[in-house]
Amino acid sequence: MSVEEQETTEHISSALSDEVVIELNSVNKWFGEFHVLKDIDLSIYKGERIVICGPSGSGKSTLIRCINRLEEHQRGDIIVNGVTMGNDVKNIDAIRRNVGMVFQQFNLFPHLTVLENCTLAPIWVRSMPKAEAEERAMSLLERVKIPEQADKYPGQLSGGQQQRVAIARSLAMDPQIMLFDEPTSALDPEMISEVLDVMVGLAESGMTMLVVTHEMGFAKRVADRVIFMDFGEIVEQNTPEEFFNNPKSDRTQLFLSQILAH
Amino acid sequence: MTDIQAPSDRELLIFKPKPSQPPPPATTGLIGWLRMNLFSSVSNTLLTVIGFYLIYLVASAVNHWGIELAVWNADTRRECLDQSPYGACWAGVFVWFNRFIYGRYPDLEQWRVSLTWVIFAAWMAPVWFPRVTSKVAIGLSAILIYPFLAGYFYLGGERNWFMEIMVSVAILSFVLCWAHVLLCLITGRGLGTTIISLSGYAGKHDKTHKYPIIAFGAVGFVIVYALISGWTLKEIGTNNWGGLFLTLVISGIGIAFALPAGIVLALGRRSKMPVIRVVCVAFIELLRSVPLITVLFMATTMFPLFLPEGLVFNKLASAIVAVCLFSAAYMAETVRGGLQAINKGQYEAAAAIGLGYWPMMALIIMPQALKLMIPNIVGSFIGLFKDTTLVSIIGLYDMLGMIKAVSQNPQWIGLHHEPLVTAAMIFFIGCFAMSKYSRHLEKKLGQGDRR
Ligand SMILES: Nc1ncnc2c1ncn2[C@@H]1O[C@H](COP(=O)(O)OP(=O)(O)O)[C@@H](O)[C@H]1O
Ligand SMILES: [Mg+2]
Repeated sequence: MSVEEQETTEHISSALSDEVVIELNSVNKWFGEFHVLKDIDLSIYKGERIVICGPSGSGKSTLIRCINRLEEHQRGDIIVNGVTMGNDVKNIDAIRRNVGMVFQQFNLFPHLTVLENCTLAPIWVRSMPKAEAEERAMSLLERVKIPEQADKYPGQLSGGQQQRVAIARSLAMDPQIMLFDEPTSALDPEMISEVLDVMVGLAESGMTMLVVTHEMGFAKRVADRVIFMDFGEIVEQNTPEEFFNNPKSDRTQLFLSQILAH
Repeated sequence: MTDIQAPSDRELLIFKPKPSQPPPPATTGLIGWLRMNLFSSVSNTLLTVIGFYLIYLVASAVNHWGIELAVWNADTRRECLDQSPYGACWAGVFVWFNRFIYGRYPDLEQWRVSLTWVIFAAWMAPVWFPRVTSKVAIGLSAILIYPFLAGYFYLGGERNWFMEIMVSVAILSFVLCWAHVLLCLITGRGLGTTIISLSGYAGKHDKTHKYPIIAFGAVGFVIVYALISGWTLKEIGTNNWGGLFLTLVISGIGIAFALPAGIVLALGRRSKMPVIRVVCVAFIELLRSVPLITVLFMATTMFPLFLPEGLVFNKLASAIVAVCLFSAAYMAETVRGGLQAINKGQYEAAAAIGLGYWPMMALIIMPQALKLMIPNIVGSFIGLFKDTTLVSIIGLYDMLGMIKAVSQNPQWIGLHHEPLVTAAMIFFIGCFAMSKYSRHLEKKLGQGDRR
């Protein structure tokens, strides 16, 4: 539904700089014997919006989770904002402070109110005074269009509202990069667009974004680059126009025909 | 898409939701309830009748023994038996009741024990008041500082410099807590804010606000310290402690120690550092696979062997150490169960917003896990409260120990049942209250996150 709706709208142009904010050099990762990520090379520029797609189990989540160290890679380098990911806890903390993440299952803190969800990290990680953190959280909640829910608990909100709170919670740390792992896959269809709208707004503001999603309308409208993964490899990457109109590999063609068939 | 007509050229159907109807008349009322629950079928009716008959048998026997034939006034067991050989001898319970509660604590000093109970109740009560702020601080001070005050009241005697300080701090904290509570209830502002505004620091920078509070605390401390110097209570050795009082001392310390120690052990068990993990697992498994009575015997016979020559470790202290270790091991498993119930996504979300290990545990994981664990935690507390009666076997005169002692008193020899029934009732009241409160807490805390 959202595909048709958004196809007509203009692609949002981005102000791409040539500053690399995330660099992956032949990153490899195994789960036990299973080789999930194979020689991933990727440079992401400041302000760039990347959509990653591919069949289930192809390693998309694992790839973006390596970028904030929710998963540990075994070989290769991941450099975020000039900081090399290693076992050094200081580096990991520095990277996590700069990289926000939104999960498929929202993962809000159910025992805290919406406002507390959004102020927790600024207060405890950035030592921000409570009043200031609350003021900022309220303006973020306005940005995701749910300021009136600030005092409710996550369990009282709809899925779409919860996901928007999750976005606000990540933004509260003022990250330079946002990772999205299938942010709309757990949502009822009528709620998908409200979350995508917020993400489009974020893209318009110039945020660097890595989005794992199958919302092709969103990809066409927002992405600077679409990456197709399969079997732990980057099979193909291109501008959305080229990617959808002239897929280079048979795998990509098959995948596109499957998700665009209906 | 072709079979759906665009409704531009014809009248739009206006959808009107049906008005909500009241539910069908409920089968409420006493008769309805009885019919539904007790007499819904022939077999159900039969079971109801049999059940009521059994209840009647038990109740009438209890009534016969405990009320109709009971003796309420007598000076010896002989007198009781002479008056009514088959009835309960409640007279014995009345005569000895103080002993069941306070053990051999001297009659004239028993007010000290009662007073500490009143103080504890008064210290904790504000936690349940509305409009009072800083409830966590009040609760924590009651658990961390109160024991020093209570300990001194129980033991008495000369205070060394440490106890002198701690008793002063405890009295000061109690007074300040209540000053704070009254201020909150009357003016709506806490003690801290009031001090700051009275001292004229309100307009100054936030960072300077602690100075008037520290100064106020220091002055208060000096005053209390001066007031209580020279005041002493008669010393009463722990061998005189007994009855319900002793049970409460042991289980109270056990309960207060179990939860924090259990949390530390449970976290240690999940630690990534092998040494910590192995030590925690070994401790937990060892203590969980040994009965409490064995731990108690080991504590009283083996701790003295490890201690340096000359340091005498009394029986009560050994028993308390044993109960603490034992309950911590059980609590660790309870906490681990709660931690396992927390979704992996919560850890990931906390990590992703940049929280380190301890803030993550303290702010995200533990509050959720503890909420889930309340029934189990209270269950362990109840178990601990009851298990404490085992200390009578190693020769401490807790309530059961006192009951045994009474039954050997020449005047009251053979008086078992009535004191035991009394003890059972006292334990029932304590345990039932705890379990009811845990239900209430569960419900109250569960309100936030209905999914
Ligand atoms: N913690 C894990 N342990 C073992 N295998 C895993 C783990 N997480 C993911 N995998 C496997 O790695 C592969 C890639 O997973 P994932 O990155 O989640 O794929 P995608 O997000 O593209 O669907 C899958 O086959 C999955 O089964
Ligand atoms: Mg995935």
